[in-house]
Amino acid sequence: MIRFGSVVAVAIGLVVSLAAAGQSVSARADEIVIGVPSWSSANATAHVLETILEDRFGVDVVLKETSNAEIFAGMDDGTIQIHPEVWLPNYKALHDEYVLRRKSVVMSPRGVPASQGICVTQATYDGDGIHTIQDLADPEKAKVFDTNGDGRGEIWIGAPGWNSTKVEQIRAHDYGYDKTMQLLQAEETVGLAAVDAAVATGKPMAFYCYEPHHVFELHDLVYLDEPAHDPRKWQIVDAEADGDWLEKSKAGVAWPPSFLHIFYAKALEESQPEIASFLKSVNLDVDTVSQMTYALVVERRDPAEFAREWVDGHGERISGWIEDAD
Amino acid sequence: MSFGMGFSSPTQTQIYDARSGKWVSYDPSQAREYFQRYGQTPEEFQRRIVPFRTAEKPGTIVIDADRHFLYYILPDFQAIRYGIGVGREGFGWAGIVHVGRKAEWPTWTPPKDMIERDPRLTKYANGMPGGIDNPLGARALYLYEKNRDSLYRIHGTNEPWTIGLNLSSGCIRMNNDDVIDLYNRVTRGAKVIVLMTGASLFKGV
Repeated sequence: MIRFGSVVAVAIGLVVSLAAAGQSVSARADEIVIGVPSWSSANATAHVLETILEDRFGVDVVLKETSNAEIFAGMDDGTIQIHPEVWLPNYKALHDEYVLRRKSVVMSPRGVPASQGICVTQATYDGDGIHTIQDLADPEKAKVFDTNGDGRGEIWIGAPGWNSTKVEQIRAHDYGYDKTMQLLQAEETVGLAAVDAAVATGKPMAFYCYEPHHVFELHDLVYLDEPAHDPRKWQIVDAEADGDWLEKSKAGVAWPPSFLHIFYAKALEESQPEIASFLKSVNLDVDTVSQMTYALVVERRDPAEFAREWVDGHGERISGWIEDAD
Repeated sequence: MSFGMGFSSPTQTQIYDARSGKWVSYDPSQAREYFQRYGQTPEEFQRRIVPFRTAEKPGTIVIDADRHFLYYILPDFQAIRYGIGVGREGFGWAGIVHVGRKAEWPTWTPPKDMIERDPRLTKYANGMPGGIDNPLGARALYLYEKNRDSLYRIHGTNEPWTIGLNLSSGCIRMNNDDVIDLYNRVTRGAKVIVLMTGASLFKGV
């Protein structure tokens, strides 16, 4: 999952420059463009929405793979109508810019609950006595994760460029385990393969995790306990804006409750009001999204074929969403 | 990239001794002794099929240098696990590469600095023909990053007792039997994931 980092500035810049140039490229009036960001659960949801919109609303749908920031910019300028999965609070800055300030994008109210934090394998939890995030700050306990003999453990905190990776750096600093653990950044593929190998050999492993995600279907994983989220103890200073961001930030508590929401272009309420209403009533859940992701990523199902099968198998549920629409 | 044969182990491997039920250090002298006594590497490093739950496609290679294992992913959450020896250079990076080239009984060309250290290698300045004495062993898989040779290789070795060790030099080395087995399975373009092993890896590929 690509998390939002400094891209809001790029997104805003893009919008400003398009506006300045007088460019506004609209999709065909009868065509819906769904922006598809790079992570698998969004891909699954995008294909399911595509199938439903074509079946039930008779519109042509185009899927466009692009970045998060560009999807928001596209919903603003009329070239994209739907973002299938926005993570909040991770992308709060985009939400605030386009939903609250520009009012060109709408957030569907029904979110899928999501979670994020630091996980260990079940074997690490049971066998190595690592139960809380504070355990990572204990030098003796941190040693179980040491793979290079320097006396400190290693922990994968996410991929470079993810918004969450910066936050995990802050959390490690605030909890103090940046002194006992080496914070490692690598592509998600590398991080997840390391989890696979750790499980295969019983090697202790701690890592940033989020769900819905297929890794929870593959392995027995446990979130490390930590104090509940407290907004007073959660202050994220933008690394791009302030060189002292790490020292000035605070995040020594659990992540705030997280949700996945469908977002859509406000203009859709005028051009395709029944579709806008439907998008507000789509009600997915964490198990469904996890299973969809597992089918695409682990079973390597063709996304379009999978979506067709899922839609055909859940006709009543989809009809319920349509009936619930305003 | 150098392929000198010296031993100096930056970190020690541990292997599980099933008889005593304990993890024991596995260092170069013990490795030689073990190999002389049994004519093979410890069971831990012998080729076998193991359960391996992953989302990676069959045909992908996962290298866990920390545990000295190379996994070749099979269908149905299984993998062939091979024992490997890892060169110190092999601890300098982690990431995703692919098999850009394959060679049988590859030629080995010693780097300049190695020739300067050991003038006897001058005769191989233009390449040592493949063969049983060649440090690259029976087969080599050349790892590419995008379309460029990363200079890292998975290759055979004529020193099978070095499997399971971290060496002063070399890339990812395997028993000749194992590297032939892997070579016959792997297709050009296969994805190779090199796992994080210690902090130094995170300087990037």
